[in-house]
Amino acid sequence: MGIALQLLFTGLGVGSIYALVALGFVLIYRATNVVNFAQGDFAMLGAFSMVVLCIDLGWPYWLGIVLTIITMALFGALFNLGVYYPLRHRTFLPVIISTIGASILLENGVLAAYGPRPQSLPGVFASQGFSIGPVFFDSQYLTILAVTVFGVALQYLFFERTLLGKKLQAVSQDKEMASLLGIPVAFMIALTFVYSATLGGLAGILVAPILFVSVQMGASIALKAFAASIIGGFGDVTGAIVGGLALGVIETFGAAYISVPYKDGFAFLVLFVFLLIRPQGIFGERVAEKA
Amino acid sequence: MRFRTLALVFAAASSVLTPLTSTAADPLKIGMVAPLTGPGAESGRFQMNGAKLAVEQINKSGGVLGRPLELVVEDDQTTNPGAVLAFSRLAGDASIPAFVGSIRSTQVHAMAPDILKTGKPVMIGGTDPQLTKLGNPWLFRFRPNDSYSARVIADFGVNVLKLKKWAIVHSTDAFGTNGMKNLTEALQKLGATTVLTQGYTNNSQDFTPVALAVKQSGAEVMGTYMTFEPDQGIFAKQLRQLGVTISWVGSPTTVTTTALKLAGPALYGSYAVVDFNRDSSPAAKAFAALYETTYKSTPDVFSSWTYDAMTVLARAINTAKSVEPEAIRKAILATRDFAGAEGTFNFDQNGDGLHGYNIVRNDNGTIVFDKHVEFRD
Amino acid sequence: MPTRRLGGAIVFVAAAAATIAVPLVHPMPAYSLNLLMQASTYAIAVFGLTIVLGYTGQINLAQAAFFGIGAYCVALGTTTFALPFWIALALGIVLAGVAGAALGLTTLRLGGHYLAMVTISFQTILSLVLTNWIPVTRGPDGISGIKRPTVAGYALTDSGVYLALCFAALWIVGFFVWRLGHTRLGRHMQAVRDNELAAGVVGVDTYRTKVIAFTLSSVLGGFGGGLFASGFSYISPDQFSFAESVVFLTMALLGGVRSPFGTALGTALLILLPEWLRFLKVVYLAVYGAAVILIMVFMPEGIWGFAAGLVRRVRGAPTEPAASVPPLPLTTRTAQSDGTTLLRVSKISKHFGGLKAVDEVDLEVRRNEVHALIGPNGSGKSTLLNVLSGLYVLSGGEIRLEGEAIGALPPHERAARGLGRTFQNIRLFTAMSVLDNVIVGAERPGNPVEPGSSARDLARAALGFVGLADRAQRSVTSLSYGHQRRVEIARALAGNPRLLLLDEPGAGLNHVEKDDLVALLKRLKGHGLTILIIDHDMNLVEKVADHITVLNFGRRIADGAPGEVLRHPDVIAAYLGEVKDRAAA
Repeated sequence: MGIALQLLFTGLGVGSIYALVALGFVLIYRATNVVNFAQGDFAMLGAFSMVVLCIDLGWPYWLGIVLTIITMALFGALFNLGVYYPLRHRTFLPVIISTIGASILLENGVLAAYGPRPQSLPGVFASQGFSIGPVFFDSQYLTILAVTVFGVALQYLFFERTLLGKKLQAVSQDKEMASLLGIPVAFMIALTFVYSATLGGLAGILVAPILFVSVQMGASIALKAFAASIIGGFGDVTGAIVGGLALGVIETFGAAYISVPYKDGFAFLVLFVFLLIRPQGIFGERVAEKA
Repeated sequence: MRFRTLALVFAAASSVLTPLTSTAADPLKIGMVAPLTGPGAESGRFQMNGAKLAVEQINKSGGVLGRPLELVVEDDQTTNPGAVLAFSRLAGDASIPAFVGSIRSTQVHAMAPDILKTGKPVMIGGTDPQLTKLGNPWLFRFRPNDSYSARVIADFGVNVLKLKKWAIVHSTDAFGTNGMKNLTEALQKLGATTVLTQGYTNNSQDFTPVALAVKQSGAEVMGTYMTFEPDQGIFAKQLRQLGVTISWVGSPTTVTTTALKLAGPALYGSYAVVDFNRDSSPAAKAFAALYETTYKSTPDVFSSWTYDAMTVLARAINTAKSVEPEAIRKAILATRDFAGAEGTFNFDQNGDGLHGYNIVRNDNGTIVFDKHVEFRD
Repeated sequence: MPTRRLGGAIVFVAAAAATIAVPLVHPMPAYSLNLLMQASTYAIAVFGLTIVLGYTGQINLAQAAFFGIGAYCVALGTTTFALPFWIALALGIVLAGVAGAALGLTTLRLGGHYLAMVTISFQTILSLVLTNWIPVTRGPDGISGIKRPTVAGYALTDSGVYLALCFAALWIVGFFVWRLGHTRLGRHMQAVRDNELAAGVVGVDTYRTKVIAFTLSSVLGGFGGGLFASGFSYISPDQFSFAESVVFLTMALLGGVRSPFGTALGTALLILLPEWLRFLKVVYLAVYGAAVILIMVFMPEGIWGFAAGLVRRVRGAPTEPAASVPPLPLTTRTAQSDGTTLLRVSKISKHFGGLKAVDEVDLEVRRNEVHALIGPNGSGKSTLLNVLSGLYVLSGGEIRLEGEAIGALPPHERAARGLGRTFQNIRLFTAMSVLDNVIVGAERPGNPVEPGSSARDLARAALGFVGLADRAQRSVTSLSYGHQRRVEIARALAGNPRLLLLDEPGAGLNHVEKDDLVALLKRLKGHGLTILIIDHDMNLVEKVADHITVLNFGRRIADGAPGEVLRHPDVIAAYLGEVKDRAAA
């Protein structure tokens, strides 16, 4: 029983990492119909930014977080300008490849600039965590879970209760119509990228103390986050969260009770099954094409 | 495309001009295949450092056959086809008599057919025992292979620590799987029991299931073959969080600088087998001091093996008084009791130069040399 | 054979022979041999992507997995099982094909991102199996000592000779892929890519076409992998990962995925680029990533597509000589209007959840009449048409075409029975020429083609009928809206339809174009074609319709001759509101 509880906690913790990154995916997808293969690298950039600011320069943790978020926001705008905007009228395929190119550029750019050594980043709390009975609660995982829950609630309020949020939703649902209503679509999309990059950077900051900071750290999360968002229902924000958490739990239990080396396979096996039985995912809706 | 033309023009120009300047002090080129890009880029840099350091030392004391050594490096991109292309590119230069190859066994395997065809000596650092059993006479290994690391782990754990119930945690790549196989065999020979064999895929983000499995197995001691330091770090931390305090004897990754930095206190008190440790011999100390003065950082296994490889190679060419492949080969194999940074080199007929490992201990963050175990069979 | 094609064939054969001969007669350094072996075997795999992605528009992110299947079959076959190379290769190709077919059959009903994820999943799982199923695959150690093939008792241990073999394979596969683009299957693939919905309606079995494309892709992947394994004599599982699939995809897109020349170019570039960029040492991969983005932005059709586009603009589109256009043999079952029922729709319903878009509608279209379907916006007209075409599944009722119940048939089978249609928002195959668009229509299954004439002639005849014969070689996107509309009609006509469904053909047309349309419709009617037309323009409807059915809120509110229907109080009320409302307005 104790083991199952520990696995559950860790599974949720890992899952919340996937959820955070998946959220970034979904937002960009809803606004632009594009899957951003560089989403994981946003997390990597956020983590490296923290390393440079807090470790190399030795600045205070909170300052590092603030500056990293600002940097990631700026980066999101840059990414939009350089990678998405020039291709916005094309089909989704060139854009996907462009994001793949961006991913390669980011990973190798950071590699060239910083070097290949993995770095460590201290967690938010000095203490590693605490035990209750047989279960150890890692403080960083708890932080991630808390931030995810809080962040999603905040995001819900923003999208549903503010005018800006509704405008963003409009753009993501029907660009043409939104534009006819006077909503500056290009600006809204830029905002979406900014927000998504910031989210990705935040995920990186939270994840770095656990996974350590390396050039490859984003890529491994991103793929699973993508799978998670499809399981949850592609294009649905709740789906991204639920899918991420579910994936983390399935993976962890699968590793413990079935096979550790095939752990990465479980995620995709589940995805496969979902795509066969219920392709719209847990929360998604089938959208019929109008003739 | 302009770069290509520029390069061609430059090459043409230099090939015209070179004969005009050729003298007896013509540099002797040694080819080197190293990862400059890809996941192995970090180790590639250290490998080059070690080789360059050796070249400097050799050239200071007169060079090889009166000529200064020059290193020609090609990037293998940390992939198999990359290694093959890098090697064949170097091999296309007929003036290169010998090469320093890869530390990754799969890359050496990939290059092997071309090495056989080229028929020139290649110094390698890959530790798959199979590499010296391929019947390829041109591979010379400058690190003790994994059958030795496994035997030393087993020997130390069973005979010194007196622990007989083992858990083996290993990465599922070539290094980890072979290490596991060899360790299982070695433990069996010593009458110990393996209560858990747990593989994991590289770059796992979470090791809770592995840590729990170790905890549940009731093992007294853990032998590990882990390839990447982040995995090492996450695993160590989670193991300790779950309250597992058993002894740990690990592969060389367990004590690299990066591993220590990432895992911190979670690795205190663990043991590891390493082929390179600065305190293991006077030669190692000398190399470490030299490396630190030159590069202002601590050396590790990546630089020590290439340093030894270049040094032994230069000696062999000088002894053979020739750059003919067969002559170099005989001279390398005839190397006896040569004190290198990695250890004392005695080449056997298969091309293995080292037959033992060092045991070190993580003493609250400092790596302390414990002993050297050598096999004379 | 026309001289231009003969000339092209000669150049092709000469180029192929030349490249195959070079490694045979001229000794090349090992480096070049290795490089070219990698390039040629990769190119064969990437040709697979030309078929599935370039032609059919389906994304495949598992090409490295199929490559790996082929490689492992050859590796294990020639080492563990001591099979001759050719048998092992055949096994690899078959296995890869079976895997591809299985994957395709189960998931090609979904598309786009879903397919991407399924292929990624398959890829990841296969990588894990190759690494961890050690008893069979030898795990991460890989397999060395892979044997070379023997040809007529002579083992190809010489890499130069083996390279010649790879080149030969490359040219043959390349030719096959290029030829495929010009066959009926190839046209079907491109139709699926450009507009899957329209493709179905025009008679293409879209599911089957996609599965075939996917299977061909996996077969080529396996073929390339088998050749690769023998070429390098050593493989390990880390070479067949998702990252490698991404590399294949990038190679395809960089050169231009729609043409085998493009993909070959892209492959060569991406293998040579890192080599040329070696001098950049550490930074080159970053430069490569940036280069990928730049090419996507400035040359979205890939390099070959860009170059081909330039050539086309310089040369201009070839025009068809008007004199050689044959007349359109508009075959109809009977030449005269005989009042018999062609289409009987009984109590058709279509519900979307709680919304009854079409509510128990009865409709009868008589042979050789023009039957108009009108009603205010949202009355269910287009929905009804979509139900008739098979694009929507009906919720209730029956559809009989000449007595045969077709309500359960998919769109392409209804097309096979002579149902043709056009769409309100024009659905042409945008990457194909005007003529090719119409040929797809002509090639619909079950099309009664006169002996001696081919689908191509039929298509040209259809184009001639709508007055666009001289624009046959133009790309459809270069035509005006009105002309595009006519091409769509020609595409439907080329299928010799028994019943032609026209969904707001007048939409978006100006005065002049509408008059042309009315003239065209009258000509069609004069040839005895049966037409069911939806339109909002009452003038147009009055001019052409023999019979009108009116819908409102999904129900039929009037049905009869134009004179009475258009003066029916319910109809007027439906369009203009009740009398008291009109007074207020």
